[in-house]
Amino acid sequence: MNRPMIRYVLGSVLKIEALLLMLPWLVGMIYRESQAVYYVAVASLCGLFGLLMTYKRPSSNVFYMKEGCLTTALSWIILSMFGAVPFFATGEIPSYADALFETISGFTTTGASILPDVEALSHCSLFWRSLTHWIGGMGVLVFLLAVVPMSGGGSMNLMRAESPGPSVGKLVPKIKTTARILYVIYLAMTVIEIVLLLVSGMPLFDSVTLSFGTAGTGGFGVRGDSIASYSVLQQWIITVFMILFGVNFNFYYYLIYRQVKKGFSMEEVRWYLIVILTAIAGIFLNIRHLYESGFKALTDAAFQVGSIITTTGYCTTDFDLWPGFSRSILVLLMFIGACAGSTGGGMKVSRGIIAVRTLKKELLSYIHPKSVKKIQYEDKPLEHDVLRSLNVYIITYVILFSLSVLLISLDEYDLVTNFTAVAATFNNIGPGLSMVGPTGNFAFFSVWAKILLMIDMLAGRLELFPILILFHPEIWREFFSKKQEREKAKQKAGDKN
Amino acid sequence: MFLSKFSQAIQSENKGLHIMIVGCGKVGVTLVEQLSKEGHDITVIDTDAGLVQNVTNTYDIMGMVGNGASYSVQIEAGIADTDLFIAVTGSDELNLLCCTVAKQVGDCAAIARVRTPDYSKESAYLREKLGLAMIINPELETALEACRILLLPSALEVGSFAHGQAEMVKFKIPEGNLLDGISLMELHRNVESNLLVCVVEREDNVIIPSGGFVLQKDDVISFVSTPKIARSFLSKIGFNIRQARSAMIVGGGRAAYYLATQLLKNGIEVRIIEQDKKRCEELSILLPKAIIINGDGSDEELLREEGIDSVEAFIPLTGIDEENIILTLFARQFSNAKVITKINRIGFKSVIDKLDLGSILFPKYITSEAIIAYVRAMSNTIGRNNIRTLYYLVNRKAEAIEFEIEEESAVTGVPLMNLSLKPSLLVTCINRGGKILIPKGTDEIRVGDTVIIVTVHTGFNDILDILA
Repeated sequence: MNRPMIRYVLGSVLKIEALLLMLPWLVGMIYRESQAVYYVAVASLCGLFGLLMTYKRPSSNVFYMKEGCLTTALSWIILSMFGAVPFFATGEIPSYADALFETISGFTTTGASILPDVEALSHCSLFWRSLTHWIGGMGVLVFLLAVVPMSGGGSMNLMRAESPGPSVGKLVPKIKTTARILYVIYLAMTVIEIVLLLVSGMPLFDSVTLSFGTAGTGGFGVRGDSIASYSVLQQWIITVFMILFGVNFNFYYYLIYRQVKKGFSMEEVRWYLIVILTAIAGIFLNIRHLYESGFKALTDAAFQVGSIITTTGYCTTDFDLWPGFSRSILVLLMFIGACAGSTGGGMKVSRGIIAVRTLKKELLSYIHPKSVKKIQYEDKPLEHDVLRSLNVYIITYVILFSLSVLLISLDEYDLVTNFTAVAATFNNIGPGLSMVGPTGNFAFFSVWAKILLMIDMLAGRLELFPILILFHPEIWREFFSKKQEREKAKQKAGDKN
Repeated sequence: MFLSKFSQAIQSENKGLHIMIVGCGKVGVTLVEQLSKEGHDITVIDTDAGLVQNVTNTYDIMGMVGNGASYSVQIEAGIADTDLFIAVTGSDELNLLCCTVAKQVGDCAAIARVRTPDYSKESAYLREKLGLAMIINPELETALEACRILLLPSALEVGSFAHGQAEMVKFKIPEGNLLDGISLMELHRNVESNLLVCVVEREDNVIIPSGGFVLQKDDVISFVSTPKIARSFLSKIGFNIRQARSAMIVGGGRAAYYLATQLLKNGIEVRIIEQDKKRCEELSILLPKAIIINGDGSDEELLREEGIDSVEAFIPLTGIDEENIILTLFARQFSNAKVITKINRIGFKSVIDKLDLGSILFPKYITSEAIIAYVRAMSNTIGRNNIRTLYYLVNRKAEAIEFEIEEESAVTGVPLMNLSLKPSLLVTCINRGGKILIPKGTDEIRVGDTVIIVTVHTGFNDILDILA
């Protein structure tokens, strides 16, 4: 285990967080809020730790898969632990566990809140809450790869551990360029949304924070009723952008590089749009009778579908009051999730497509036991290894999910609450149904249930395995083993002879 | 529009070339390793998904599974933006086809590996007709290098520059030698002035020495000089400079064929031991002057019977590294023959270095040296000073580069002592119209010269890079 390298990466992550924490401080200065000073304090603390940890460059930058997973998991944990401090220090969230829940919910772009009254928060804290979405959406390590020079192919292991989706491909040969392209697309789309919202008459603060929430597919709003009190036009802008941020970013890359045909032939994007349109149609027909105007029904249906499938979690209406059919559709959408390679969570559309094809193949093998069929995806045959890891992913997903529901039910709330609370955090959505519905929040859970949900959020964001590997004893045995030092000492002695 | 400009800005920031490599075999991976270290954008194509997976996991490059000769695969891999296309699959025909297609589809330079003797004689013709930038033949290059060593057996390595007019010779100072304990200044004054010691390896260190540097026994030194002076110098310090008269080669593959042809041309008697009867017959037709022995080259009795103790050079060229190493160790124990070991794989290099095998050839490096030299010259946008030759020295810790000086620049027309050069760098040799100068501080570089630089810095593209 290359500990110096892990330390170095973690230090760099802290340095980046220090810079990011300066932004809410600026916002606080503009609104002349006393809380801003805590952000500067935490920022300098992060910066100090970061500088100490990156003071010595690691001698070897060998980086294997296990280091990649461990580093990713630890980065996210450290990032959240420091990010939670300002909420706690300003006294806006009195318990550190709650502050941590809020921050993890932010970085994992979940958007599940424990705050009963959002509007009581200061502007700088609201801004920081939304900024965590924006950082967490594309990933802090991808950002690190884009700005920090790291040689060696090992850095691919970092990106693979952080990016959503069954298989992570690069857009261009160099990982640094890939990371930069992703961030430029991300930034550009966010800016476009901010501008559109401004033009539609939204105040600057709201447009920036809501755009951050949309871009990261997070879901923290700045008003108590989420998006409901904004104008219909603004709701539609947010709907469209939520759906756009749930599209595989390779699609935009192809568009920019004039490979439009290749972009539109992406199966995942096509199916993603088909699922969205079907869901909107289903819900619209189901809730039409509740509304006086058809357009309002369509607006709400489209907004909720876009919000849930991309795992954003904004809402314009209390969909907990909708008929059972519509609610069921929404719960199913929670599991499907957005496209791989987007900022959204969930199981991902691509996994769904491949899983359905595996099922079809299996059925075929019952009819023609000796038939041979290779599953194709995006016009390419899938390797056995990809299918295997996909199946294992789904099984692991189900096991973790069931286990979480079981453990959380120790709190003695009703099944819908428990089930959707886990679904909403595990898939990084935010609101669930019943007690954790759009009008509720997660504050009532016990500390243990909250810790469990935090682990669920991290596991969901990092595609399960980087977090699960933390529970494997061998990782820690290797991490704490003194073998390396012994070998080094031996080598030194050898050099002297 | 706005976005595309933006992304172009991102892309143009890295100055590397876009290189596409077909074939992830040994040579392919060596190229990837070196080229990705030099900062180029690399895409590899291979039909074997496992190989592609391996190489993309280890290096920061893009991989694609597919047939590299297929038009659509090349398009998808981005041939349109590719500057250099290298085909190094196992099949010559496929390599040539890949390059031909690539030349039609994209606007790029193409390099193909062609190693079958049938084509190698026609390589100049093929290169011209197919419009290729380079045809590489690792086996032939290996054979040529082995042959150079056998013509000067006391050397560990011999590299040739300026069409063979200058040579870089590497040897180890034995105990009690004249050179043990004298400084380079004394060496110039008392022994031979017309040569330049450019690299000294002492234990694990690589030193580019200055005049006051004192040589010791067991130092491995490399010097540049003309072939004639090199020989007279080596004989002055008590080395045997007579070329080997007989050679025994184990294994009758392509490399053996090329080596035997070269050796026979230089009047060296050749014995080849090959296990496969049919191959023996082929070889006997191809090489009528050589003695072809059908037998197991790893059989100790057979080697003794065929006179391993009396032969003057012994070169195991089987496809298995371990076998080559064992045979070399055996030969060093039982005879005084000059041995050359060919190592195909590069793993466990630290162990191999400790074994004291004498001259070691790495065919993979020999191939990549030529390609890297070409790539460096290609990515050189500053001037038009081309790289002619490039050699890795000492496990690639140092490089010897031959530059062609085609135009006036900051380094031309100025006495060398007035130039502020980078540390650990030597201008070792100037070739002016076929005459080899070992430069003094008062000499200057002129347009039309070729200049050989030895340095521990890597990645020089242009002669101007020597300035601090």
